[in-house]
Amino acid sequence: MRTRRLRIVGLFVAGALLLAACGDDADDTTTDDTTTDDTTTDDTTTDDTTEGDAEDAGADAGDAGFEVFALLPQGNDQPYGTTYLPPMEEAAAELGIDLTITNSQYDADTQASDCEVAVASEPDLIILWPAVGDTVRPCLEAASAADIPVTVTNSDVNPEDEDLTRGYSGPDTYGQGVASAEIMCELADGADTGIIMVNGLTGNSTAINREAGFEDTINEQCSNVEILARQPGNWNKDESQIAASEMITSVGAENIQGVYAADDTMVAGAIDALIARDIDPADLIITSIGNTFLGNPLVLDGSLDGTVFQSSSWDGENAVVTAHEVLTEAPGERIVRFMPDVKVTAENAEDPDVAPEW
Amino acid sequence: MTETSTPPAQQVGSSQHADGAVARLRTILGRRTEGRAVALLGVVLVATLILEPVVFTSYEVTLGRVALIGLVALGLTAVILMGELDLAVASTLAVSGVIMASFDSLLVGIPVALATGLVIGMVNAFFVIVVGINSFIATLGMLFFLRGAAFVISDEAPVRIADIDAGIAFGRPVLGPLTPRMLIFVVAFVALHIFLTRVRVGREFYAVGGNREAAYDAGIPVARRVFTGFMISGFVAALAGVINALERTAADPTAGSSVLLASFAAAIIGGVLLNGGRGSVFGTLLGASSLGILQVALTLSGVQVDVQNIVIGGVLLIAVITDPNSLRAAAGSFRALVRSRSGPQPPG
Repeated sequence: MRTRRLRIVGLFVAGALLLAACGDDADDTTTDDTTTDDTTTDDTTTDDTTEGDAEDAGADAGDAGFEVFALLPQGNDQPYGTTYLPPMEEAAAELGIDLTITNSQYDADTQASDCEVAVASEPDLIILWPAVGDTVRPCLEAASAADIPVTVTNSDVNPEDEDLTRGYSGPDTYGQGVASAEIMCELADGADTGIIMVNGLTGNSTAINREAGFEDTINEQCSNVEILARQPGNWNKDESQIAASEMITSVGAENIQGVYAADDTMVAGAIDALIARDIDPADLIITSIGNTFLGNPLVLDGSLDGTVFQSSSWDGENAVVTAHEVLTEAPGERIVRFMPDVKVTAENAEDPDVAPEW
Repeated sequence: MTETSTPPAQQVGSSQHADGAVARLRTILGRRTEGRAVALLGVVLVATLILEPVVFTSYEVTLGRVALIGLVALGLTAVILMGELDLAVASTLAVSGVIMASFDSLLVGIPVALATGLVIGMVNAFFVIVVGINSFIATLGMLFFLRGAAFVISDEAPVRIADIDAGIAFGRPVLGPLTPRMLIFVVAFVALHIFLTRVRVGREFYAVGGNREAAYDAGIPVARRVFTGFMISGFVAALAGVINALERTAADPTAGSSVLLASFAAAIIGGVLLNGGRGSVFGTLLGASSLGILQVALTLSGVQVDVQNIVIGGVLLIAVITDPNSLRAAAGSFRALVRSRSGPQPPG
């Protein structure tokens, strides 16, 4: 009996200590007192705020202190998220926004539940990066019913859901697919080119848009490029290598003159699959998207012919800048702030402007 | 002033009665397996009340999270009580949601999806009982098969349900703050609790899990009970898939990635013995409640998901370590070690 009592008391103490420690962590992780000196310029379609105004607004907001929930599907568990978060938190500190960040790890149910928590805590605004674009409608409806504005970051919501959001900042994911296809078309130069395609996580809106942008563009601009096979690589190098290897087997190595992968991580896997089959990647036309720490060296060594720069720091920072604009200026129209699609090839891969970030 | 006194015989009688009641209470408590879950829930409630009281003012959100974690865990409990595992619950959830959303009418899609869950449970049980494959292996294979099937059926993209407005309405409260998901969870809990404690077939689950040979000898139709358990698990997982798809207005073939571990964690924290024979759906409810409240509190506090996983993993470890069987085994090992050290040493 004594043992049982001791056990229960021990459990209480251990649990309380654990929870208390986490409570402290919460404050540490959500509040950031660091500041940044500048904000990135952008291609805002409805942007009539001067820099001075923004600074004034930031100062005002700092006094007011906005509470904002950021519902993200990734964080420090992914390379992109690791470099997305610090600029986001720095911009939030500068603009007087107190951020609470969640990470659903691309689980739509978890994000929906996080959204319920966010709405219940009645923040001034919710920043949403949809885990699965098709499933966020109820979250948007709930936020709308509670009069909480929502801005979208990184991957836009479906067109029919746009009315429920106040702004979007992030890459033009369709445009990235277009840019990658344009590199492919240019290098194919009218010659018949059979390619294999490694796509992102099935169902993910970024994956869908990039695939559509790439496919639409080659259909319109270079019908000589034919997609022989396609498989998801799930944004993962190992899975991409397996997928590419399977496609090489099924299509026949002799029929493949090119590879498109929806990001640099996956293109690295596809290139490994080619090398494993004694195929020199330099002999093929290979394009992707990202210009990451993994992709940029591949461009420089000639394995990867071209990629499209995606700046995670721009993305994170502008998520907060857009949210702040909605909070302080209440623009009538939906803000759309696209990240510039810069093509990176061997010619400009070493330029400081396109230095990889993640 | 009148003094009342109790006759000595009556005193002895009441003393014996009190002792008997205490002994009975002790026996009842000794049989219960939810002690750790109650203790943990107490800790979580107190800590949350101090650190993040919003969890209680926004109780509808907390209840929603508990229902999200708990529903699949309830079905899983029926299988674990018989000493089996069902790793396919998350994939069953995904494929049933996709099947439901693939139909133009929810009235057709929902029954078909639920029937799919029953069939999946039957197939799992067939492999375990008739073919004789270990349930871990059989349901692991089913996990991959169903995940692939969900991708093929959905054409590798989320499938929007036929009636989006109905889906959005389904996610709204219908009784006070209670949404249909919560009500279904309560109904499932009550039904399973009654089944496992009041119905003979349900009570035999404990016999099958506690000692299968003895259950055979006692004339219990073990095969049928295992079939029933897997069918309950499959049905409840399919029900969760239908609910998820309705609430999200779309079925995601990747759905359920966090369900498997969360539901096992809820059952284990709730005191359900993985070897079978001991546990209850009430314990699973307590486990799911602890996890749900903890998750909501940590999310509201802005604790990163990595840290949340550490906390939940720690809680799970505490639950496993404080299992009476584990403690007895550890104590036995320790005693044996001490005896071997203190015993007479061989000469030389």
